Amino acid sequence: MNSIPTALRLNLRIASIAKYLFLAVVLVFAVFPIIYILLSSLKTNQEILTSGARFWPERIVWRNYLEAWHLANFKRYTFNSIFLSFFVVTGTILTSTTAGYVFARGNFPGKKTIFAVLTATMFLSVGSLYLYPQLKMAMALNIHRSLWGVIIIRVFSIGVAKLYIARGYINTIPREIDEAAKIDGCSFFRIYWNIILPLLKPLIATIGLLSFRQAWNDYLLPRVFTLGNMNHAPLVVGVIGLKSTGEATTSWNLMIAGTSISILPMIVVYLFLNRYFIEGLTVGSVKG
Amino acid sequence: MDIIQKVGGVGSRWRESRLVGSSRSLAGSQHIEAVQSYLMLLPMLIGIALFTLYPMVWLIRWSLYTYDGYSTPIFIGLENFVRAFTRESGYWRALNSTFIIMVFKIGIELSIALIAAVLITGKGVMNSLFRTFFFMPCIISVAIIGLIFFLMFNPYQGVVNAILQEVGIIQDRVNWFGSKGKALTVIIVGGIWHSFGINMVYFLMGLQSIPRELYECARIDGANDVQQFFKITIPMLAPVMQVILMLAILGTMKMTDMVLVLTNGHPGGESEVVMTYVFKYFFGGDGIEGASQFGYASALAVITAAILAVITFGYLTISRRMSRIY
Repeated sequence: MNSIPTALRLNLRIASIAKYLFLAVVLVFAVFPIIYILLSSLKTNQEILTSGARFWPERIVWRNYLEAWHLANFKRYTFNSIFLSFFVVTGTILTSTTAGYVFARGNFPGKKTIFAVLTATMFLSVGSLYLYPQLKMAMALNIHRSLWGVIIIRVFSIGVAKLYIARGYINTIPREIDEAAKIDGCSFFRIYWNIILPLLKPLIATIGLLSFRQAWNDYLLPRVFTLGNMNHAPLVVGVIGLKSTGEATTSWNLMIAGTSISILPMIVVYLFLNRYFIEGLTVGSVKG
Repeated sequence: MDIIQKVGGVGSRWRESRLVGSSRSLAGSQHIEAVQSYLMLLPMLIGIALFTLYPMVWLIRWSLYTYDGYSTPIFIGLENFVRAFTRESGYWRALNSTFIIMVFKIGIELSIALIAAVLITGKGVMNSLFRTFFFMPCIISVAIIGLIFFLMFNPYQGVVNAILQEVGIIQDRVNWFGSKGKALTVIIVGGIWHSFGINMVYFLMGLQSIPRELYECARIDGANDVQQFFKITIPMLAPVMQVILMLAILGTMKMTDMVLVLTNGHPGGESEVVMTYVFKYFFGGDGIEGASQFGYASALAVITAAILAVITFGYLTISRRMSRIY
């Protein structure tokens, strides 16, 4: 009499064990590489090279970080990354909210055509294959020797995804607000600057996070712009530079400490703001 | 009248009636608004023209020349394309590798993402913890991911070989970058690591849009969890799946940074993908004979753009049924 419920309960238990087993395996897969890097960065180079599968450092040492920071120029790289991210983030926030506002509220001949052309460029993008002509253009404008070239390219050719997010958000703000301002004699630009922009805090957070991730993680463009001029290189370019220049085995500790320096700020920001992160990335990618 | 209506927009009648009297000055403010709109867009339009449209035209133009950056370019018509289609092997091999990576990476990563999404959908501390950690790899630079996996899969000091030996799965160290198959495997694993999280989030969004009632009806009719998964969840996710697959295909086709750092085409250009192959024709690098052939490189870039366009529109045509599921 009891046999059916027992079988059912057993089934349920097996199902729930299978579920958590699967999730546990995926969890290990997802966090293992990060934890491996973070823990290895606290080992001595000797131990990194010989410890094999031993995970936990025998003795925690901070020397790798000090060495990377002072001897391997990572102080400079970190500064460059912060510099690059700061200007890309502020610049992108301004350009994409402006463009979003103009396309949401503006009334001017050719609005639809320009918007269609911008959307079309998204489909024609071949990513890294534009790098060489972009570099040529930067050379012609004489901005190819520093990170300013990267900043200018990233800020002024904003992604269509950010434009869509910005326009979509601004469309949700009631038009009555700017119409009232218009009656009071506010110009189109003043309405943006004094009235709309202060209302955009959530949008600014989303676009800020998106462009921070992009700028901080950027590799090929800054690499091309800082070739032969490592004093301008951001963190990602700096760490990967170690792979090709240094004697591979002697700089493992530096590569690992450098990797850790370059991913930690991102992870910390993510852990605090992960909801906005996920939101921004999904909106961005689905729409473009 | 037309102008007044435009300016009034969705606004109230009260304002419209107030504005009718001064339609002349309104035309003026309309004009100013247009000028300000253009001025506000100008920086972005210049940026797009200089750094997106110009490169496009540049590539198309120089694809018709032999051009090494120094000597006078010579117009050769479609000769570069003829060379690419008849005397080139590396590019097509790279394209083939890209397709292999695409099939395995997308197949595995979408399965993991879908199952994970179904298991952790809904509220709850555990679920949101899983979500946070599963998504974490997506925020790390793909170039850095290349470096991390390069270190982990290193034949001598890498942790992967060490663990596999410890567990007893392998006896001798595997040289992960020693053959095409193994190198592509490492690229696939790295690629999955980076992007299964974002796909999981897309699936989670898709799951939220499925009406609860469907599951309740099915349960009343006696359908078990597995049946519900295959008969309700999967079909109802089709429209989301269409977008996810599209993004995954394009993302894999455009993979560059990670491969450059992870395998750099080793061994002997065997693990080169389309983007890295063409990239090296422009910037030089391992395994490319006689770099600085900018004309030929441009032709390869144009061919790649055409392939991407064909894949995109072909996919959208074939998959149209998926978006009309309900």
